Amino acid sequence: MRSKFLTLSIAISTLAFTLSAQAHDPKEHMNNAEKPDCAAMENMDHGKMDVNDPVMQAMMKQCMGDMEGMSGSEAPKGDKPEQHENESSTEQAGHNH
Amino acid sequence: MAANKFLRCGKCLMITAVVAMLGGLAFLYSGLYPMGADVPHNGITYWGLETMRERSIARAASAIEVPNDLASSERLLKGAADYNAMCASCHLKPGKNQSDFTLGLYPAPPNLAQKGDDHGHDGGHDDNTYALQRQFWIIKHGIKASGMPSWAPGHDDERIWNMVSFLQRLPELSTGQYQVLTARSDNTKKQEH
Repeated sequence: MRSKFLTLSIAISTLAFTLSAQAHDPKEHMNNAEKPDCAAMENMDHGKMDVNDPVMQAMMKQCMGDMEGMSGSEAPKGDKPEQHENESSTEQAGHNH
Repeated sequence: MAANKFLRCGKCLMITAVVAMLGGLAFLYSGLYPMGADVPHNGITYWGLETMRERSIARAASAIEVPNDLASSERLLKGAADYNAMCASCHLKPGKNQSDFTLGLYPAPPNLAQKGDDHGHDGGHDDNTYALQRQFWIIKHGIKASGMPSWAPGHDDERIWNMVSFLQRLPELSTGQYQVLTARSDNTKKQEH
């Protein structure tokens, strides 16, 4: 009975210590942080960007995936926003029925 | 005759010191000094505390070795998320001029989204190396009775230097740049795993 109590106490204190250590883990911040808003970067004049500037390099790292994804999906199709709106409204109409 | 004069003078000094000490103790125990954060220190107390703080930090931080790669984008990116999570509520960010903490804390935490000359809390030094050492020391050890905690528990030196790296570029960031740098993209998650 006594050894069970001791084991349980050690287990609970170990768990509490582990959880408190995790609170300072950078990954905890990553889970809470919002996603980067890369739309502003898309609209920037790429000719004026200083690629040697660490701030610009860091921003490009953050937005690399988004920018590739956007240019990759838009460029070949050449879709216009109106077309997307029409498609989505047609889809919505279809779902309503 | 001269020895007598010296002894009398020494006695006077001793009595003055004891009276001053007793007076100081009486003042401490009287509870007359306003301790509320909404009543500023008087000029002498403020000067005394500020001088003691700056001299203490200067002595303790002068031997700290500053890393060479402080301007790297990797450090900037890692420090940005930590700044946003741990510091921005008190030390603000681009586009924000005040928070409940900046209004209520005394002394008010400096707005680190502004340049040192503008917020006036850079320690009054032109030496850039010392400015970096000072920021590192303050983040690591905190400052007594100021609301600034020590981040040493749970945060190693590298992580603190990353925050110092981000602080060097923070005053020139726009709100959009700040958002992108402090956010966490899928790319950075993959890189850090």
